[in-house]
Amino acid sequence: MVNCDPSIPVVRVSGFCKRYRRHVAVQGVDLTIRKGEMYGLIGPDGAGKSSLMKAIAGVLAYDGGAVEVFGVKVDSEQAAERIKHRIGFLPQGLGLNLYPELSIEENIDFFARLRLVPERDLADRKARLLAMTRLDRFRDRPMKHLSGGMKQKLGLICTLIHEPELAILDEPTTGVDPVSRRDFWAILAELLQERGMTALVSTAYMDEAARFHRLSFVSNGRVLASGTPAEIRSLVPGTVVTLLASPQIEALARLKRDFSQVETLGPLLHVFTEQQDQAEAVKRIEAGLGDIEAEQVQTDDPGLEDVFVALLVRGSPVKDTSSIPVRSSGRPQHDGLAIEARGLIRDFGSFRAVDQVSFQVKQGEIFGLLGANGAGKTTVIKMLNGILPPTAGEGWVAGADMRKAGGVIKERIGYMSQAFSLYLDLTVAENIRLFAGIYGVGRREADERLKWIVSMAGLAGYESHLTGRLPMGVRQRLALGCALVHSPHVLFLDEPTSGVDPIGRRHFWDILSRLSREQGVAILITTHYMSEAEHCDHLALMYAGRVVTGGSPGEMKRQVEQEAGHLLEVVADQPGKALVHLQRAGFHGAALFGTRIHFFCRDPVRDAECACQALASSRVTIKSVTTRPLSLEDVFVYKVMALEEQERASTSGDRV
Amino acid sequence: MNLRRIAAVASKEWRETTRDRMFFLLAFLLPILWMVVFGYGLVLDVESIPFAVVDRDRSALSRDYLYHFFESRYFSFQGYLPSENEADVMLQSSKIRAAIIVPEKFGERLLDGQPVSIQTLIDGTFPLRTDITKGYVIAINSAFSEEQLVAYFSRRAGISRAQAEAQVRPIKLEVRYLYNEEVRSTWSIVPALVMFALMVSSPLLTALGIVREKETGSIYNIYSSTVTRIEFLAGKLLPYVLISSVNAVVLWIMATLWFGVPFKGDAPFFLLASLVFVLSSTGIGLLVSLLVRTQIAALIITIIVSMVPTILYSGLIVPVSSLSTGSQLQAHLFPGMYYTNIVRGAFLKGVGPEVLWVDVLALALYAAVLQIIGYRLFTKRPRS
Repeated sequence: MVNCDPSIPVVRVSGFCKRYRRHVAVQGVDLTIRKGEMYGLIGPDGAGKSSLMKAIAGVLAYDGGAVEVFGVKVDSEQAAERIKHRIGFLPQGLGLNLYPELSIEENIDFFARLRLVPERDLADRKARLLAMTRLDRFRDRPMKHLSGGMKQKLGLICTLIHEPELAILDEPTTGVDPVSRRDFWAILAELLQERGMTALVSTAYMDEAARFHRLSFVSNGRVLASGTPAEIRSLVPGTVVTLLASPQIEALARLKRDFSQVETLGPLLHVFTEQQDQAEAVKRIEAGLGDIEAEQVQTDDPGLEDVFVALLVRGSPVKDTSSIPVRSSGRPQHDGLAIEARGLIRDFGSFRAVDQVSFQVKQGEIFGLLGANGAGKTTVIKMLNGILPPTAGEGWVAGADMRKAGGVIKERIGYMSQAFSLYLDLTVAENIRLFAGIYGVGRREADERLKWIVSMAGLAGYESHLTGRLPMGVRQRLALGCALVHSPHVLFLDEPTSGVDPIGRRHFWDILSRLSREQGVAILITTHYMSEAEHCDHLALMYAGRVVTGGSPGEMKRQVEQEAGHLLEVVADQPGKALVHLQRAGFHGAALFGTRIHFFCRDPVRDAECACQALASSRVTIKSVTTRPLSLEDVFVYKVMALEEQERASTSGDRV
Repeated sequence: MNLRRIAAVASKEWRETTRDRMFFLLAFLLPILWMVVFGYGLVLDVESIPFAVVDRDRSALSRDYLYHFFESRYFSFQGYLPSENEADVMLQSSKIRAAIIVPEKFGERLLDGQPVSIQTLIDGTFPLRTDITKGYVIAINSAFSEEQLVAYFSRRAGISRAQAEAQVRPIKLEVRYLYNEEVRSTWSIVPALVMFALMVSSPLLTALGIVREKETGSIYNIYSSTVTRIEFLAGKLLPYVLISSVNAVVLWIMATLWFGVPFKGDAPFFLLASLVFVLSSTGIGLLVSLLVRTQIAALIITIIVSMVPTILYSGLIVPVSSLSTGSQLQAHLFPGMYYTNIVRGAFLKGVGPEVLWVDVLALALYAAVLQIIGYRLFTKRPRS
């Protein structure tokens, strides 16, 4: 029977278990999703999110527990068929469920006809959704020629074309640049609002957690915590303190004795403590620092990522490896420039992938190269590695011109690619020895390096494990170790942290910051995770092959604050209605962020009042209006949007 | 059953297959390629056997004897050799496949009326070819012996050569080859190649088409939608059946117009039987696709399952009736043999359903069983 009672949850999962042969993927998960909710599943790769979502969508048989969707127990293929007309499912993998040879319109038509959408409704909905996603000009373009962001939006349209009551979207934002991601969330929020749809969405990005009404943190097949973002925050009460202390290495070591969650953010230290009283927290940190003086001390409420890490740490205390002293193996002699790009240009046919890129990285510095997919980041790295000759310009790495000194350069640089080029059938030690052999490291030195890498990367106990069976985080540290086997002075990392859980990521960054601080290794890294960019000393933002802005994270935020103003957050009881009223009142940039509304404003005091007035007339109750500190994602999105705006203005709009 | 959903799946499949260059080549070019490559390459006629001669006699009669070989189109003379040792060397290096050794005093003893023996060395590495070569040697040898006999008889009895011949050879054998009048292996091979090309390409296309969806994850669109299993399978297989049917017609035209093989049978019956065969071969592809996850696995398994038995047990090269009992049993398990019977019957013998209905029935059964198993195995809610 079709169930329409709103008090009955759309999805109810209890004691859910799923095994793949002997491997247990999900164990004892409970979950309830109410009508109209945007429910989030957050966790790293392999946490069991996909299995759970597939089971709810009725496309995967499971081993234990109960899954009830729209009041129907989904326990057989027949039962699953009864709910499928009310569900839209977007499987994982950007654009992989679409048909590359078919055009945008043909893809949509296929999904609609499969769902028996009447032709007249189809035309209406298609027009509306294409306009909303700004894909209408590309109707006839084959899907294989779409960008990542466009594929993602097309995937969403295809999933929602039959107007399902429940949309199940498996990692729809993975592998998409921050601008497209933000765009996606805005579109999804609008559709949910408009249709009263319920959505279950998974993501690997911690910073997206705040966008959900309610969410569950999933790790290793278990739910660590469920609830609204506020409820989850309250599970681990505490304070986050950021401070500047030098020498940073020593301060970090001292704080690690007393606090389990300490990390470096560029020059700053980020400490999470369960002490709720902020003054007391600062006092304790200062005590821990001893004679090192803390400067620029700031306190804040913990973010969801801090909470998640705290929950993970509670579940399984992580071995802290950083107490092992790192022996310096030949610090680079010169303290000058490690990497310098001077007007690098690279053309592929008539397409200019990299255009006049210049930047400098000092020895001992972590330099982050940010940019959307296809902005030219990997091409820059390849040119600096000597893999790809530049069309014009020059690059100097470790004092050598990379156009002439390909072979010499390779002994001074380490490179870790996106795919972690490890041999999965070899053990950890065998992999390290293999890479030592490839780089021509002598046998005795290789033994030494093996010991060093094992202690540095926290691989102790894993030496004889098969690489293929290692957790992603460990595998990633092994890949880093292999890139360091020949003691390079310069390290290139191309999106090294995708698919790794937050603890693994923090551990990884720990190692990177110690490599740079203690050994003076220069590190050039690209990443999609904007929260990670905070760890870098310097950033360069690439857009369409050019470096459009650069500076330290703090400088970049201040710059945007000067240009665009502060970020205001409005919490109201009817966010959807509030958004419409705010937009009508002239706040055009206003966007829904979970249950909150965010927008930029020049004058926070005046604009906050103005917003309150706009909402007061519409009988929306405002709970709070506060200014929020900018994140690097805000910076990225603002910058790229401004550039796109410019481009649209100059070319009068023939591309997105 | 909802026709609109079937049409949606089928038209999507058709577009994907015709637009993807790789699939397009696989669908339309591969069968033609098989036909051309095997049609020219798989000729089994044994002709122009290279041979050498050790003539120890060097008389007029020995030359006369050897001329019979020199002039035969089945043999190709490579030269005189001084001794058997050289013949061995030539045979070992495969420069010749046969050697004829004429003993000393061959002519003398023959005129004396004494028996003589001619030694023939034949390369035995390929039994089939060896047998055929041996047959030619025997035939030429006995022809020469008879001539000698006729000549002697006419001399002794003082009668004409023709009379003598009638006396010596009272029974004359007349052979008329049926169906393949000129006993050309092309005529026999090319119709069977229609079977081979279809049997290899159509399961491959089907298996890859379905597994491709599994590999990319687009199969979840099907799993999560309201399309029923039978609608999906019907829509999915329809384009492949259509493509393979078009191929059957193209191959038929190639066989008759290009290779010049006569088609003596009933065209509508042949096309109908071909459709039944295509249904059963796509069924093999369907079954493979449900058991594997990756396109590469589908490719390997399909080739093993469809190509190997087809070459060995379908009657393509060796007639099923001359296989061992075990092999005959295997031959009956694969659809190739039945369709070979149909193709050869329709092309060369000109027979129709009155003879071939058993084969058509077997294929229909085959198709039905495979499609039903495929339908039962396909689930929209798999375990992994």
